[in-house]
Amino acid sequence: MQAERVIAIGASTGGLVALKEILSQLPDNIGAAVIIVQHMPSFIAKSIVTTLNEISKLPVKLAEDGDILEENTVYLAPGGERHVVVENGRIRLVDGDKVNFCRPSVDVMMESIAREFGPRVVGAILTGMGHDGARGIAAIKERGGVTIAQDKVTSAVFGMPKAAIETGKVDHVMPSYRIASAIMDALGGQRYT
Amino acid sequence: MNKLARVMAVDDDPRIREVLEILFKMEGIDVTVASGGEEALEILEREGDDIDLLILDIMMPRMDGWDVVRALRDRGWTNRLLITMLTAKGDPGDKAIGLDEYVFDYITKPFDPEELVNRVKDFLEIVDAAK
Repeated sequence: MQAERVIAIGASTGGLVALKEILSQLPDNIGAAVIIVQHMPSFIAKSIVTTLNEISKLPVKLAEDGDILEENTVYLAPGGERHVVVENGRIRLVDGDKVNFCRPSVDVMMESIAREFGPRVVGAILTGMGHDGARGIAAIKERGGVTIAQDKVTSAVFGMPKAAIETGKVDHVMPSYRIASAIMDALGGQRYT
Repeated sequence: MNKLARVMAVDDDPRIREVLEILFKMEGIDVTVASGGEEALEILEREGDDIDLLILDIMMPRMDGWDVVRALRDRGWTNRLLITMLTAKGDPGDKAIGLDEYVFDYITKPFDPEELVNRVKDFLEIVDAAK
């Protein structure tokens, strides 16, 4: 079914550990699409999909241009050449300069999702260097979505989460192992308990 | 068949190099060590195709860890090498700006040997699957 709600996750250095923690805890009927931008060299993108599929109850795929955003599916942005945005319910891989030195950029992804899905978005910024995702998370909050940042203790690098928190637009700061349940709560977790 | 994945550890502290060598060899992980950035680049130039994972200290004389990452990026070697920092430096600092996509993990010293080995094994699996 076409997704009406989206979980948008941005991660960078150290993100794999946190992503595995979160995806292993999300139920297979989460009722939303999950989009992940993880900064990484593009040559490992496919193997990261394989790794995540081993622990995720939701199927994980590499985001492809034109994919219809389906609920209960995880889309991982391929590394490298293009940004990932959502337009009219579809994934688009688009050309463009690096943003915050990053392509794909978490900001670009999250801003498009905030525009498209408004309050029906949960955004999370995980461990990483730099500050990509801060503008994106603010955009999600400003459109009525729920926002989460990984805490300092469980972050390999507390750069991206810190920058997100400093925007004043983050609802919850928490350890990585609690983020999945916070996402479920934000989506109306009663259904899944 | 893939060749055995290999790790290179770069650290100016001989004790850390020794610990890592012993630790990885015990786990059957093929490891090469280098005492600094220049030596690491020389080894990679010579036998770079065989090395899959780089474990990089940050605070080293002459070339620090970030200089090494930039050198690797400029040579295009970040297209086939996974890099993790292993450092006593809690905050990457300004020199790391723009290097996010090339630095897959950031492990702080003192490290838990078992956790380091597990993480390295995970990363080697990822690189192996990418071949």
